[in-house]
Amino acid sequence: MQAINRTYREQSFDTQGVLKILSILIGMMVLAALVSDGVFLQPKNLVNLIYQNAMLIVIALGQLLVIVTGGIDLSLGAMVAVTSVLLISFQDYGMGAAILISLIAAVAFGMVNGVLVTYARLPAFVVTLATSQIGYSIAKVVSGGGAVYTGFAGTELPTNLTDFYTTGVMGIPYPLIVCLIFLAAMGLYLRTSYGHFSFSIGGNERAAFLSGIPTRTVKMAVYVISGILCCAGGILFVSRVGMGDPQAGNWLPLDTIAAVSIGGASLSGGVGTILGTFIGVVILAVLNNIMNLLGVPPTVQPAIKGVVILLAVYLNSARKQN
Amino acid sequence: MSMKIASPARLTAWAGRNTAMVALLIVFLIGSLFVENFLTGLNLSAILYQYAIIGFLALGQLLVILTAGIDLSQGSLVALTSIVTAYMMRSFGITVAVISGLIASALLGFATGFIVSRTRIPAFVVTLGSLGIARGLALLIADAKPISIEIESFVDFGRANLLGIPVSAILWILLGVGLAFFLKNRRIGRHIYAVGGGEESARLSGVDVKNVKLLVYGLSGLLTAIGGIIWTARLSSGSPIGGTNYEMESIAAVMVGGGSLFGGVGSVSGTVVGVLLFGVINSILNLVGISPYWQGTIKGVLILAAVALSQIRRVHTTH
Repeated sequence: MQAINRTYREQSFDTQGVLKILSILIGMMVLAALVSDGVFLQPKNLVNLIYQNAMLIVIALGQLLVIVTGGIDLSLGAMVAVTSVLLISFQDYGMGAAILISLIAAVAFGMVNGVLVTYARLPAFVVTLATSQIGYSIAKVVSGGGAVYTGFAGTELPTNLTDFYTTGVMGIPYPLIVCLIFLAAMGLYLRTSYGHFSFSIGGNERAAFLSGIPTRTVKMAVYVISGILCCAGGILFVSRVGMGDPQAGNWLPLDTIAAVSIGGASLSGGVGTILGTFIGVVILAVLNNIMNLLGVPPTVQPAIKGVVILLAVYLNSARKQN
Repeated sequence: MSMKIASPARLTAWAGRNTAMVALLIVFLIGSLFVENFLTGLNLSAILYQYAIIGFLALGQLLVILTAGIDLSQGSLVALTSIVTAYMMRSFGITVAVISGLIASALLGFATGFIVSRTRIPAFVVTLGSLGIARGLALLIADAKPISIEIESFVDFGRANLLGIPVSAILWILLGVGLAFFLKNRRIGRHIYAVGGGEESARLSGVDVKNVKLLVYGLSGLLTAIGGIIWTARLSSGSPIGGTNYEMESIAAVMVGGGSLFGGVGSVSGTVVGVLLFGVINSILNLVGISPYWQGTIKGVLILAAVALSQIRRVHTTH
């Protein structure tokens, strides 16, 4: 246990790596402020940045946890689509019931992923690729194919849910508060024994199993947590756009993997930090923001984003060669 | 695979080694017996026609997966190929256009392979980057609009049949046979398996690991481009937004055909069977009239079942 604690601490305070991506981020922010004539630093733009990326931060935390155990979750987008559709469709029974139903669905989804990865021992990539198709398909069946705005019986979305996204307390927007709560919760989880075990499993699953770690339960937990975070992401999505979309979030799996990798996590497991992931999301967010402020045509944006992801991951991986 | 005597034991052993083939036979039998219009020349030809394109991509994906890599850029490369081909066809004619399309995709494939083999960035992230780059280039060249193709002979080539069989499918099978021979009998083919089986031991036995990896991504780009050109011909235009998620289908086909993402395991025949399995299932679902909304669920469950079966086999053979 002592050894596990130490390795975790080394990973979580991987100062060199964090400093490296932090300097990339600061460089980008300075660039953004300069090229946009200060527009970037205006409160309105920064708040927008939070609005646009709150969901990505919450969901990237789930991806981080899965990747730390050596897995991968490609079904994040589908889970957001399912929860967003269920949340809107079941409003007839009250918002509380709707949230409960979508939470149950997300947990069930995570459990299916977990059972197939841990007990059936199928590769996580294929399992979540398949459940992603299943999720989008179920979302379409429930919604009837297109986006949904009202419940089955026609109940309108209560305005307090959509207001929630654009208001806050003491000038701090609610979406930001939600992000901070989830960041803190994940920080606490990684400090529990299960959190430590997740790192050990990613480092060497066989060794972890032989040293008495309940590898199966820990891996199950990881996929279920990813599901729960997607449910939270789905609720944020609905409160932002006011609809359930069966095609929501198809960019989420790849964007979260990009953010987690930029943040210094290894796709082979065992390494990764919350701070790194957070910075990874912010780098992607600032990049998108700069391109929009500069009026870079949307046609060129994916190419620039691809190059930046590659560069950021390269800079952060060069260190590990030694 | 010799079956001199079809004894039950031999048969079970063969079925254990060829789960995808068994699944294909079962699904095919179900289709022939219970689904109207399934077992007709027209329908079988349509299955080949539709799935030959994914077939080319899957052959490239197989090479990459054999080295324990992955290529997520295939769908975007289809779009890039189609845009370059359509763009060049406007002023330079078919030959130059097709060659430019092939070169553009292969070049990007080699660039991907260069980064994968010379840095420690995981293939997943590198190809994620080239996915964005290829898509961006396609959108940039095309100015985000489709480019139409007026040359009839090119469009006809995409839809041509030989003795009732789509030419694209014949080309796919021929390429598959060639690739199977190459993998089995040429030195580089064996090296591809060796790299996937264990990079360090391959390097120590004198395999040029870096260049083998460089090669597979280049070939994946080239094979994807062949699929992309046929796709363009059928569409009679270049589309910068087409081909999205094609890589997921090619990965699924390789996996169902017995490939392992850990590398070193997989075959051309398995991959071809995997592609055909998806084609046959898709055709049955459409003929039976199952709502397209449900099809994703059924396909997802079938992918899981097929991979679970091939996994059982692997556990049996390794212990």
